[in-house]
Amino acid sequence: MGKNKVKTSDIHILNLAKLIFGPQAILYKKEDLLAYDCDGFTIERHLPRAVVFPTNTEEVSKIVKYCAENHLPFLARGAGTGLSGGAIPLNNEIIISLVRMKRLLEVDLENRFAVVEPGFVNLKLTNSISDKGYYYAPDPSSQYACTIGGNVAENAGGAHCLKYGVTTNHILGLEVVLPNGDIIEIGRNGIPDSPGYDLLGLLTGSEGTLGIVTKITVRILKNPEAKQTVLAYFDNIEDGSQAVSDIISSGIVPAALEMMDKTAIEGVEAAAFPVGHPKDIEAVLLIEVDGIAAGIDDQIELILAVCRRRNVREVKVARDEAERGRWWANRKTGFGAMGAISPDYLVQDGVIPRSKLPEVLARIHKISEESGLRIANIFHAGDGNLHPLVLFDSRIPGETEKAIQAGSACLKVCADVGGSITGEHGVGIEKKEEMRFVFNEEEIKAQTDIRNVFNPDCLLNAGKLFPTPGRCAEVKRELASKS
Amino acid sequence: MMSIANTEQKPACTTGGLGNYLWSDPPKENKWADCVHCGLCLEACPTYEQLGQEQHSPRGRVHLIKSVAEGNLFVNEAFADPVFQCLDCRACTTACPASVDVGGLIEEARGQVRQAMALKGWKAMTSKFFLETLFPHHDRLHAAGSLLKFYQKSGMQKLVRKTGLINIMPEHLVEMESIMPEIKTPVRKKYKQEQVIKAKGVTKRQVSILSGCIMDVMFSDINEATINVLTRNGNDVTIPKNQTCCGALHVHAGDREMGRKLAKQNIEAFKDSEKVIVNAAGCGCMLKEYPELFHDDPEWQEKAKEFSAKVEDISKFLYDTGYAPPKAELNTRITYHDACHLAHGQGIREEPRDLLLHIPGVEMVHMPNADRCCGSAGIYNLTNPEMAGAILESKMANVPEDVEMISMGNPGCMLQMAVGVQKYGRNQRIVHTVQLLDWAYQKEEEQGSGQDGEK
Ligand SMILES: Cc1cc2nc3c(=O)[nH]c(=O)nc-3n(C[C@H](O)[C@H](O)[C@H](O)COP(=O)(O)OP(=O)(O)OC[C@H]3O[C@@H](n4cnc5c(N)ncnc54)[C@H](O)[C@@H]3O)c2cc1C
Ligand code: SF4
Ligand code: SF4
Repeated sequence: MGKNKVKTSDIHILNLAKLIFGPQAILYKKEDLLAYDCDGFTIERHLPRAVVFPTNTEEVSKIVKYCAENHLPFLARGAGTGLSGGAIPLNNEIIISLVRMKRLLEVDLENRFAVVEPGFVNLKLTNSISDKGYYYAPDPSSQYACTIGGNVAENAGGAHCLKYGVTTNHILGLEVVLPNGDIIEIGRNGIPDSPGYDLLGLLTGSEGTLGIVTKITVRILKNPEAKQTVLAYFDNIEDGSQAVSDIISSGIVPAALEMMDKTAIEGVEAAAFPVGHPKDIEAVLLIEVDGIAAGIDDQIELILAVCRRRNVREVKVARDEAERGRWWANRKTGFGAMGAISPDYLVQDGVIPRSKLPEVLARIHKISEESGLRIANIFHAGDGNLHPLVLFDSRIPGETEKAIQAGSACLKVCADVGGSITGEHGVGIEKKEEMRFVFNEEEIKAQTDIRNVFNPDCLLNAGKLFPTPGRCAEVKRELASKS
Repeated sequence: MMSIANTEQKPACTTGGLGNYLWSDPPKENKWADCVHCGLCLEACPTYEQLGQEQHSPRGRVHLIKSVAEGNLFVNEAFADPVFQCLDCRACTTACPASVDVGGLIEEARGQVRQAMALKGWKAMTSKFFLETLFPHHDRLHAAGSLLKFYQKSGMQKLVRKTGLINIMPEHLVEMESIMPEIKTPVRKKYKQEQVIKAKGVTKRQVSILSGCIMDVMFSDINEATINVLTRNGNDVTIPKNQTCCGALHVHAGDREMGRKLAKQNIEAFKDSEKVIVNAAGCGCMLKEYPELFHDDPEWQEKAKEFSAKVEDISKFLYDTGYAPPKAELNTRITYHDACHLAHGQGIREEPRDLLLHIPGVEMVHMPNADRCCGSAGIYNLTNPEMAGAILESKMANVPEDVEMISMGNPGCMLQMAVGVQKYGRNQRIVHTVQLLDWAYQKEEEQGSGQDGEK
């Protein structure tokens, strides 16, 4: 473990090391930095200048101030599970890792909120309060590892966000270190709405470009009285898609409504958490309803009827909590499971009107055929949030570029049918050019103007979220010419 | 930056070769190609939990191992650190959706490191003493055991403790000394004259046991219990003479050559055995993974595969073959710790719990995070005491207050947990799962109702 022994000629690293406390609180050797050259998006890789591990807000503030005064680019990193490259140090940034700020500071059951540090892992919150009958609703599939700070930055969603809303609907307050080092607090004591502009809303989902979140107050919910989960297998993807639409239009609001196609099923069944899905089906739906016990059985009956009307091959209700857990583990580890059938994947994140599902899937299929790359589809079907996973092998020359093109083409389809290019994974590096599919120059400028109010020197997480050219590109060039 | 790398000396001979891996038997590409960098393994990793640094996480380690192959990194000190801080606990293998064999990659990487540079200082001394001088040699182990026994019985132990001589030993050795189990006669010595230890009653199966190197010296009563439990359930037991240390500690330390040597000896020694029963999870896991050592030697790999198929942990063997649940009551409250190499390494979780729950009067209290490493990890607690201590501390915090015993299936964990009990002022007794079962059988016999009844 060892203490801080910093040996380098880089004066900034020596100075930064003095600002933080704790064992190995700064990394600066190439070998140690390599693990930080990308996040869950592996296509771009850049080494940071250093990684620092503050343990409290004051340390974060001091580091940020130092960076601002010395014109050093910096960015925040949580667990690095982001899928759009948000935590990748494009400009040789100082990475401020928040994983050592991982305490659960307060739980107020009466007023239904909890206060956490940004490095606190999503699933741990539910695990810490479940014995008292409470949970934290946003449940990204990466919840075993991702941090709530990262969730705020990406406005993360999850399977159960169909009924309960995404991260932004559960944030009651934030403490933020601004890009100049000032510490501000928005929303207090679990009371979110203050007069004036909705700053909480603005910061949530800002992808780490407006400030560094150092404390978060979140809403917690009481466990639903009852829960039922259904698996439905379809021989035909159109029937599956239609069943999704029918369920929603029947008036039921399922807690979750997930879908996987044939290639995705092949992946999850080959991986670590198989549940025995038949190999020859075209689509599987995972449907969950929850609420007061009285109405649940009726809802399940209705869902079963809808599925049968849409020619379902087989449909079953989870017998117990253990079976339900296995079904969810199978679904939630779906992205990683692709490792079992492909060396690399690029996951896309489009949103479409539900009614366009069959059309979009057909067009994605065509993209797959044309590119010669397999594309698996895992998605939050209930809210039309599609995750095409482009499978490729980066060791084959040219295949990475092909995958990027195929991914972009998928997003184009989503935008064309009136949807959007990201549901929950953010724009990051990955989709910044695709922003043009949904915004014109003026709209983009309006947004960069807002960023510049918070982040005028563009030192914080530059080169993300908006297509270049923009002011940040200039900074990058300026910095490049200096070094 | 590159200057660090360039100072590395080149090996005298290069037989293997993959990027900057210059020696034979490098980490296998197909193992890291499975990793999609999703990060779902991060929180499972005890070293990441302690340090919060990604080079000390499974994903980070795989990334570094891959970087060496890609030529972006050299096999040097800075690479060795994350690779050797790994506990080899395999929790990442359980967590990983793509089933990446992180443990296997780490062991192969360690093999490269050990060939590239020699160990220095305290670590080198400890490693050399245990791995080369002691464990592979039964006679020396027995001699050491006898010395220990002498140490305990003669009053030397009391003397050392009283005179303060103990204060000049390194801290973790002091902790170890204080929990040293009482040394009894190794089963290999005890049953030296017997070819076969016959089943009590009708013989249903023939099995051999791995008596283990350290196990038979420090924990011969567990071997004794294993034999009792096996014979009690219709198994004739043999203890093949030429068997040796399983080699797990050598392989964990990167000495794959020694690992292969020991593996070959064991494969030969158990040639005629139908089943190889193991009561030490770490050893069992290693025996099951012998084929991994012979990627460059198809003939031995074939033999290793045959051998590995015969290996089974005692708890799973009893569970699978059907055993007679004891009838006598052992009124006690216990908790169960999942040894890493049982739960993560061999996927054995329910079987030992089932055995314990079928002992009348045993009440099992759930231990949160029961499958979290205790920090023992072979001789990791000796080579990386600081990290091991931090991990032990969080383990002990999870041990329920009101239990009398902590049961588990691995001697290394037993020593480490005993240190924990002592260090944090707890009072639990540390027991092996088969010991509890054996005690129940013994009590049953004492009560004179020792009749067979299959489960
Ligand atoms: C297998 C897998 C499944 C996934 N499933 C989902 C899913 O179902 N739904 C979903 O929404 N996402 C999902 N994701 C994406 C990812 O997990 C989320 O975006 C998550 O919120 C990222 O959290 P993190 O802690 O890993 O953040 P990081 O990846 O470390 O960072 C992400 C961004 O947030 C910024 N950031 C991090 N911490 C802070 C902070 N404290 N203050 C300010 N900015 C910060 C970073 O600068 C970066 O721009 C998945 C990812 C994987 C690998
Ligand atoms: S080892 Fe497995 S869980 Fe960890 S990053 Fe790689 S694929 Fe994901
Ligand atoms: S084996 Fe254990 S310590 Fe090593 S990387 Fe995996 S989880 Fe971490």
